[in-house]
Amino acid sequence: MKILVPLKRVADPDNANKIKIPAGGATIDTTGLEWKPNPFDEYALEAALRLTENGATPKTRGGEVIVVTFGPKECETTLRAALATGADRAIRVDAKDDELDGSIVAKALRAIVDKEKPDAVVMGKQAVDGDSNQIGQMLAQHLGWPQATFAATIEEEDGALLVGREVDGGVITLRVKLPALVTVDLRIVAPTSVYSKQTKRDFKYNDGVRFAALPAIMAAKKKPLAELKLAELVSDTALKVQYSRFEAPPSRKAGIKVKDVAELVTRLKNEAKVI
Amino acid sequence: MIEESFMKALFHGVVAEELIFPFPSPSESERDDVRQMVDSVKRFCDSSVDSAAIDDAHEIPREVLDGLKELGLFGMVTPQAHGGLGLSTMAYARVMEEVSRHDASLAVTLGGHQSIGLRAILLFGTDEQKARLLPRLATGERVAAFALTEPSAGSDAAAIQTRAELSADGRFYVLNGSKIWITNGGFADVFTVFARTSRPEEGQKPRLTALVVERGPGVTSGPPEEKLGIRGSSTTSVYFDDVRVPVENVLGEPGRGFRVAMEVLNTGRLSLATGAVGACKRLVAMSAARAAERKAFGRSIAEFGLIKDKLAEMACQTWALESAAYLTAGLVDTGRLDYSLESATCKIVGSETLWRVVNDALQIAAGVGYMKEYPYERLLRDARINLIFEGTNEILRCFVALSGMASPGKELAEVVRAMREPIKGFGLLSEFAVRKARTALGRERLTRAHPLLSREAVLFEEYTVELVKAVDKVLRKHGKDIAEMQYTQRRVAEVAIDLYCLAACISRTTRAVELRGEEGARRELDLTTMFASAAGARMKANVRGFDRNDDELRKSIAARVVGDGGYPFDLV
Repeated sequence: MKILVPLKRVADPDNANKIKIPAGGATIDTTGLEWKPNPFDEYALEAALRLTENGATPKTRGGEVIVVTFGPKECETTLRAALATGADRAIRVDAKDDELDGSIVAKALRAIVDKEKPDAVVMGKQAVDGDSNQIGQMLAQHLGWPQATFAATIEEEDGALLVGREVDGGVITLRVKLPALVTVDLRIVAPTSVYSKQTKRDFKYNDGVRFAALPAIMAAKKKPLAELKLAELVSDTALKVQYSRFEAPPSRKAGIKVKDVAELVTRLKNEAKVI
Repeated sequence: MIEESFMKALFHGVVAEELIFPFPSPSESERDDVRQMVDSVKRFCDSSVDSAAIDDAHEIPREVLDGLKELGLFGMVTPQAHGGLGLSTMAYARVMEEVSRHDASLAVTLGGHQSIGLRAILLFGTDEQKARLLPRLATGERVAAFALTEPSAGSDAAAIQTRAELSADGRFYVLNGSKIWITNGGFADVFTVFARTSRPEEGQKPRLTALVVERGPGVTSGPPEEKLGIRGSSTTSVYFDDVRVPVENVLGEPGRGFRVAMEVLNTGRLSLATGAVGACKRLVAMSAARAAERKAFGRSIAEFGLIKDKLAEMACQTWALESAAYLTAGLVDTGRLDYSLESATCKIVGSETLWRVVNDALQIAAGVGYMKEYPYERLLRDARINLIFEGTNEILRCFVALSGMASPGKELAEVVRAMREPIKGFGLLSEFAVRKARTALGRERLTRAHPLLSREAVLFEEYTVELVKAVDKVLRKHGKDIAEMQYTQRRVAEVAIDLYCLAACISRTTRAVELRGEEGARRELDLTTMFASAAGARMKANVRGFDRNDDELRKSIAARVVGDGGYPFDLV
């Protein structure tokens, strides 16, 4: 199976340098930020790798995984990391962050899918920076493909994927015919979440995403990394989404201590107005 | 060339600032690689390594060792041509820092393998030896160990008793003897063994030869030693009983084994220091969290002055250590062959910084720190070995001082001789005179320090002059007798060590200011200012101590203690 996995880098929430918003709130200041791959995209890559191997012998690859990202040259770090983890080749669409919105990225991805003709697109349900949760859905629409969003499990069948979606009160199982688009949720990296046709059903993966051995990190430098121009993929590059203002969330006020339950109830009723 | 080593040059009053500016930094692409490697190590350790269990079991589980091998961690320094990763010294240091941050037993096992175990093959091996031995060591299929220490030969390598006798046909050596406290001794397959290959003669230093010995008939390991810390690492005796070692396994030249051992230990000491950086960073993080979280008298203890003071000390000392260790790693990567003083300095600073940091961290955690349920006591036990192995810190201080003074001392002797033969010695005299003039007329300047660091740079320059004056004075006064004067050696070493760390901080902070401006480099500037002020006070005391001290009083008290067999008083 050939799978396309779009990746996005996001600001590392654990790093000492946080996002700053200059006075006026017209932009976000990203200087000095440390970047890391969007966690849901890492889960998508893990799912794609599991779908293209026999879990018991992961070194023998049984398919192709192509990773793609949008952004400046520095984003290649994210792609190299994915290549070291097991992806076969990478594409960077050269663009500045402020040239992109969900609609443009979805259209550009469609052009890439038309060119690469993968059997499936597997991607994170959303990026943890903008939390838009829309590109997968838009891309499936553009492609006219079946989609399964927020996947918690995927099983490969002949010509189809059986996808489990966790919803309130249970699991909805969808069978999507290939080619198809799947967006994944965090439980997709549990030990028994993803099975390719080659992987035995009693096989258990390690929990979480795999990490690269050091020799693979060195070898990833030799894997192909292509660069495309945004304008080659999308004719209308006008932004559909305009950000009008950025504000930092208000800092949390200190809590108070209450004497007893009676006071708590009174305050919840009269001050917080939640009961 | 004295300018090959920044520290050796300092002993001549020469500030070889081109060696330390700009502060070394890996290329963008290498930095990406190393970050990813560090991330893999972190993920592996978080998911698969239970340090408390390893400490309890006195053993690293098979699956963890296999995991380390699969990650490629046994082949970090082996060249790619021989199946390894061929990492630079700096990259290797950073990855090992991460391993040490998570678990000292793993770090010691990996370090025993490649910082010292197979290092002699890398440094002195022939192409044939490398091709034959390295590939299986790079994958971890075979593990290496460094076998120098013996029951009666620790710091004194010349006392080695293990003997290697050349066979009559000259094709192999027959090795007999025993080594103690060998890291990886229980399971290593390949040993770098140091043995005497000359007849013992009264008053003659033995000729040592370095041999690669593969586990086989006649090679046996003793039982695992019970240790204070690093309990997961394998430490055993190794016995050699009529082991036949082909002459093809001699590393370097026969009889030149002492040099092999010293070169290997240079890299070992540096890697020990960068390991200490990792442990320190973890402890600072633990203490920061603990101080913010723990409440006393209705406030978090981070608000109290005496806790703040500890946190500041921990951060400042870790900063100086990291700066000195990575400056040295960068120097090694530029191909400087002589970094023996720098790596010994890093070992001393690394082990002592970690010991103070772990002690402070345990004190901030207080009662909790003392309990086995928490990691502090294990980290304290694990840290202790660093002051001892790969050369005790006492021996290394003497080494830094004597090795640093050797060249000025030789020069002085040569000058004295040259003055007796003025014509032949003219060139030498004028060179000496020039250097003297250089250091006497105007002190050597640290011109590339950022102006914001001018006070720190002046401190460095002033005490470089003080070091040279002191060295000159003690050499003129005591000549060869200096070899016996350990108090004086310690003062010389202390000043040189502080100067090196200070120079490293200044160089690194200069780069930070150039990259990010004064406000962007506020943290670095403050840490360097704090370190400089502490180092200045220490250097002042040490320099004063050359002339005014109670060394003789202390020596006579010590002599009485030995004579009395202990402390002689009882109040009742």
